[in-house]
Amino acid sequence: MSFFFYLAAAVAVIATLFVIGGRNPVHALLYLVVSLLAVAGIFFMMGAPFAGALEVIVYAGAIMVLFVFVVMMLNLGQATVDQERHWIQMRYWVGPGLLSAILLAGLLFVLGNGGTHPMSMTEVSAKQVGIHLFGPYLLAVELASMLLLAALVAAYHLGKHD
Amino acid sequence: MSFSNTQWLALSPFLLLSAAIVALMLSIAFKRRHDGNATMAVIGLNCTLVLILVLLLISKGRVELTPLLVVDNYALFYGAIILMTTLATATLSHAYLDGFKGEREEMYLLLAISALGGLVLACAQHFASLFIGLEILSVPLYAMIAYPVKKRHSLEGGVKYLVLSAVASAFMLFGIALLYSQVGSMGFAEVGAFFAAHDFELISNRVALLGGALLLIAIAFKLSLVPFHLWTPDVYEGAPAPVTSYLATASKTAVFAVLLRYFVEAGGYHQTALIEVLAVLAFVSILVGNVLAVRQNNVKRMMAYSSIAHFGYCMVALVAGGPLAVEAVGAYLLSYVITTLGAFGVLTLTSSPMGDRDADLNYDYRGLFWRRPYLASIMTAMLLSLAGIPATAGFIGKFYVIAAGLDAKLWWLLGAVVVGSAIGLYYYLRLLIAMFLLDPARHRFSAALDWAQHVGGIMVLLLTLAMMGMGLFPQPFIDLIRHAALQPG
Repeated sequence: MSFFFYLAAAVAVIATLFVIGGRNPVHALLYLVVSLLAVAGIFFMMGAPFAGALEVIVYAGAIMVLFVFVVMMLNLGQATVDQERHWIQMRYWVGPGLLSAILLAGLLFVLGNGGTHPMSMTEVSAKQVGIHLFGPYLLAVELASMLLLAALVAAYHLGKHD
Repeated sequence: MSFSNTQWLALSPFLLLSAAIVALMLSIAFKRRHDGNATMAVIGLNCTLVLILVLLLISKGRVELTPLLVVDNYALFYGAIILMTTLATATLSHAYLDGFKGEREEMYLLLAISALGGLVLACAQHFASLFIGLEILSVPLYAMIAYPVKKRHSLEGGVKYLVLSAVASAFMLFGIALLYSQVGSMGFAEVGAFFAAHDFELISNRVALLGGALLLIAIAFKLSLVPFHLWTPDVYEGAPAPVTSYLATASKTAVFAVLLRYFVEAGGYHQTALIEVLAVLAFVSILVGNVLAVRQNNVKRMMAYSSIAHFGYCMVALVAGGPLAVEAVGAYLLSYVITTLGAFGVLTLTSSPMGDRDADLNYDYRGLFWRRPYLASIMTAMLLSLAGIPATAGFIGKFYVIAAGLDAKLWWLLGAVVVGSAIGLYYYLRLLIAMFLLDPARHRFSAALDWAQHVGGIMVLLLTLAMMGMGLFPQPFIDLIRHAALQPG
């Protein structure tokens, strides 16, 4: 069953290469979402559904939102519509679509076989994650809040126009 | 998770500093007042510093706060150095930022958060806290370096630091993951036990070796050892003068503190192959740093290269290992921090209030002695200390490094230290001579006449006293450093 690991890992690596090599930021973002989905698949396979779900919701989800925001805020008017029409050509979405299809096929194959991978024998549930976060890693959670505060203040200061 | 009274006491500096940060943030949100907010930050940092010194004095021994953090004398000693540095930077920033057009108050907030990251690093005994501490230390620095956003050099420095820091973090995370895959734990104690048990077959365990190497690459980037030093001169030059002083002292001291703990407690000394690599890095850093510093006409760039060389010296003490290593590193870092802060303090006072550029060219210091004799004398003392002349703090530090190197019979590294110090003397003296040359008719920079009555000036005077004290009467400092020894795990 370790074939799914290699499949997902390969998809992640290929998609990330496209992110780096992509000239258009929006296309690069699409590949980034695929890459994150592949990593989420690996998390699921390793028996960490919570981490996998977070990967999908926070990273893939949040980045999609960011992507929508970028399109909404930066491109307005008739030129945008033309650009959109230009973007919805097959050669732009066929790459991410193909990679996602490979992931989906792998996932279905694994599910069809009952999903008995030795790695996934120990399942890490959300409850266990929570117990760890608020047990031995309590201070890390609190410190992470300070890290976010620092990032927020830094972004505010650097991003401010006056 | 419940803490005992001793643990709460050990945790109190973190709580106090965090509370100060939140209070400062709220007060800025309600009303921006440069003086008031700066005072608030300084009061918070001072209270934390006093608390840490009291804890160091009553010395409860080793207190573990969850598997992530440990508070012992070593951590408190380095925490005190980091807070002292942050305080000096905050006071220096005050006069400097008076010339800044935009919003000045965030600087203190970012500084305080960064200091919290330094504290976490000093106490880290787990890879998770090591990583989080490093990020809390670095993330505010991105904004601090690029604080004058409109200036091209500052922005360039900030972006460079951001990108390269992120790459270094990726290296570190990958290294930690590889180590975890072999050890099955991220605590320093468990990693140390693993390396101690697999001492001889380590070469065959390529994964663990690679993990340790990747971790060291990230650390070497933060300490700007050659060949991971390329960002240093540009970032130092671009950052506002007080931020450069923070970057050169607090951030590097915190990283070195956690590196030393990693070596002593997490069995870094059992990775003999990596020790050899580190020795080569130290050798190259000393030579390259010193040689490149010679050609600089910009004081900030010169200090950048000289800091590369200084961390090469410090690395010699770490590579030497043995009973003297922790003490030697403590002495070297203490002397380096005091001296560098003093030198950058003079640079900042001369550049204050902030103009369209800092007083960072050699030419700006020409004839400084005839304009501001006391300030130039302080700069002279600091430069002599950086060069390691006897009767200054720098001499004590270098003495320790050479003693540790002699103990471990690292002859070729000691040769590099000696040659490097000789080259160092040359470029420090060049700046020194410029200060005593005749005053040119047209000069753009000189510190305010009443510089000694401002907090920044008082801080520089105190640093001079500390530097002279450590050089002339080192025993109390040595006792303090011995008090902060680290028990090998």
